[in-house]
Amino acid sequence: MSESTREAVLLKGNEACAEGAIAGGCRYFFGYPITPQNQIPEYMARHLPEVGGVYLQAESEVAAINMVIGAAAAGTIPMTSSSSPGISLMQEGLSYLVGCELPCVLVNMVRGGPGLGNIAPAQSDYWMSTRGLGHGDGRSLVFAPYSVQEIHDWTAEAFDIAARYRLPVTILGDAALAQVAEPCQVRLRGKTVALEHEWAVGGGLQGRERRIVNSLWVQPDVMEQVNLRIAERLKQASADLTLWQETGSAEPAILVCAYGVTARVAETAIEWAAERGVAARLFRPISLVPFPYAPLGEWAGRVRKILVLELSLGQMIEDVRLAAAGRCEVEFFGRAGGQLLYPEEVADRLVAMMATQG
Amino acid sequence: MAKNIKQLSHSPDRLTAGHRLCPGCAEPMIVRQVLMAAGDRPVIAANATGCLEVSSTIFPYTAWNIPWIHLAFENAGATISGVEAMYQQWRKQGKIDPVQRYALVAFGGDGGTYDIGLQSLSGMAERWHDCVYVCLNNEAYMNTGVQRSSATLYGANTTTSPAGRVIPGKSVHRKDLTMVMAAHDIPYVAQVAPASPPHWRHLVNAAEKAFDYEGPAFLNVLSPCPLGWICDASKTPELAKLAADTCLWPMYEVDHGEWKLLYRPKEKLPIEVYLEPQGRFRHLFRGEKAEEIRRRIQEWVDYKWEQLLRLCGDA
Repeated sequence: MSESTREAVLLKGNEACAEGAIAGGCRYFFGYPITPQNQIPEYMARHLPEVGGVYLQAESEVAAINMVIGAAAAGTIPMTSSSSPGISLMQEGLSYLVGCELPCVLVNMVRGGPGLGNIAPAQSDYWMSTRGLGHGDGRSLVFAPYSVQEIHDWTAEAFDIAARYRLPVTILGDAALAQVAEPCQVRLRGKTVALEHEWAVGGGLQGRERRIVNSLWVQPDVMEQVNLRIAERLKQASADLTLWQETGSAEPAILVCAYGVTARVAETAIEWAAERGVAARLFRPISLVPFPYAPLGEWAGRVRKILVLELSLGQMIEDVRLAAAGRCEVEFFGRAGGQLLYPEEVADRLVAMMATQG
Repeated sequence: MAKNIKQLSHSPDRLTAGHRLCPGCAEPMIVRQVLMAAGDRPVIAANATGCLEVSSTIFPYTAWNIPWIHLAFENAGATISGVEAMYQQWRKQGKIDPVQRYALVAFGGDGGTYDIGLQSLSGMAERWHDCVYVCLNNEAYMNTGVQRSSATLYGANTTTSPAGRVIPGKSVHRKDLTMVMAAHDIPYVAQVAPASPPHWRHLVNAAEKAFDYEGPAFLNVLSPCPLGWICDASKTPELAKLAADTCLWPMYEVDHGEWKLLYRPKEKLPIEVYLEPQGRFRHLFRGEKAEEIRRRIQEWVDYKWEQLLRLCGDA
């Protein structure tokens, strides 16, 4: 245990997320109820006042994300959380947030869809999170934790990252990670996010030039410059924050690519498949934007096949194919609508893949 | 005209047994009474996301015997507007009987009505759709785990307005949505509750009027919630009656601009008789601030009651 952490406590993913946010300096949270992320706003309502923070419950997700814009314009790094249908409602606000070049921390505990769907775990918001953010060219940095500890740590880190690159940072979880309870080493709460950022409109002019927070640029050449500025920050973040983790066979025949809760399933499946003579390795992207194209591409040249596991009908697989660039076959195994993958069936699939490639 | 219990008992059963709402939940009582009031008209319901929708349609089952549309949290008013627009057009085109009245009804909770659905409800009223919107008001987001809404009473303990040593529950008074809807100048607005006999009839009578009049109607129905209010599941109608007796939830209607009390308690009871049986107000009966908070609630209730009496010409 380092000096910056407290003892390990048993926390749900949602609680670890909220506590991580407070440790990371979050003081302004704007929430709205939706299952399976309700413990995040509930935790914030109870604990933010303890550290002089503000919890406000919005009247809708549209209001919540626009409160985030207001607080970000005033110079803080605000946070909101929701689950799939609520994130859909926030898309307009997120586009404006990016257009205004403001940072925030956004948590999406993904559930089965489309439509109201259900409250079971899913990964079918990959496209919305990595491509979406409403209209325009904007992107969010997206991190996909795969344990309660990682949810806590990544949410804590997200505030500095959002401030550094002046971009929204998305923590992409799911209903399983949100609700599962695991031991979590909790960081100390001392830190706060600085309020004097270069974009902040609060505090009066104070002898400086007037600042304007705006996403309306009528002149296309000016608008293009704004787009290029945002893209430049994304490029810098990509250089600094392309993250992944690998485990399993050092000389694999099959590379398994999975993120979030599915990577947990893959770890077990790879162990079980190894006992049946299959040499497989897990490649787990931690940052989804920026996606680890290059390291994944290197593996594509060394393995016979890549198996992509997702709780969707296949969304991240498009990025995996881009990374593989035809150097090996890319297969897909997934479940949709809130169904989970099980280690037994994944192990069987790995054994079958070995058998069919002679 | 108003029907008696015997006549109502012969109405078609449109929400049947087998739904999975909590024991003591007022919502199925309200829905069944409202739909009984629709009489023999064909009924089409739009149901915003919430307890009623989730608990009445657990796949592959349904407790509904009528055409029923489920939609997002914020859109019951808009969806029933679309249904009504289509029926009006079919009527014009001669595709349906031009004199047949349809009971087009939208159900939403207080979160889906006071908060996120207010925009679509207001639009429905302003465009003058011939339909009835029923708000099942249990004063918080119960389906997602008892988060505060703008219908939640001042001082109430919810998961996002937790009562602690420093902050005693919700810190602001609730929105008066019934008055907001009355200000739309629609044919009929009523604030009612599934109160114990003989007061249950105010709900059914209000629903009958709402279906009879042409144009939009709005019913704001208090819906006691044993789970979120932390109260005895066998006392739902009694609690609804106490809400009216304390004037915390006065039952009244605004019929074509005429404000009228549906029930004036002989003796206005102190709010404590309503708050005390509910766990969500437990903290208002202990500690230093408790009396002060209760006094503020009572002052607000008195102010709202006097305001209503003036509007009803009963002051």
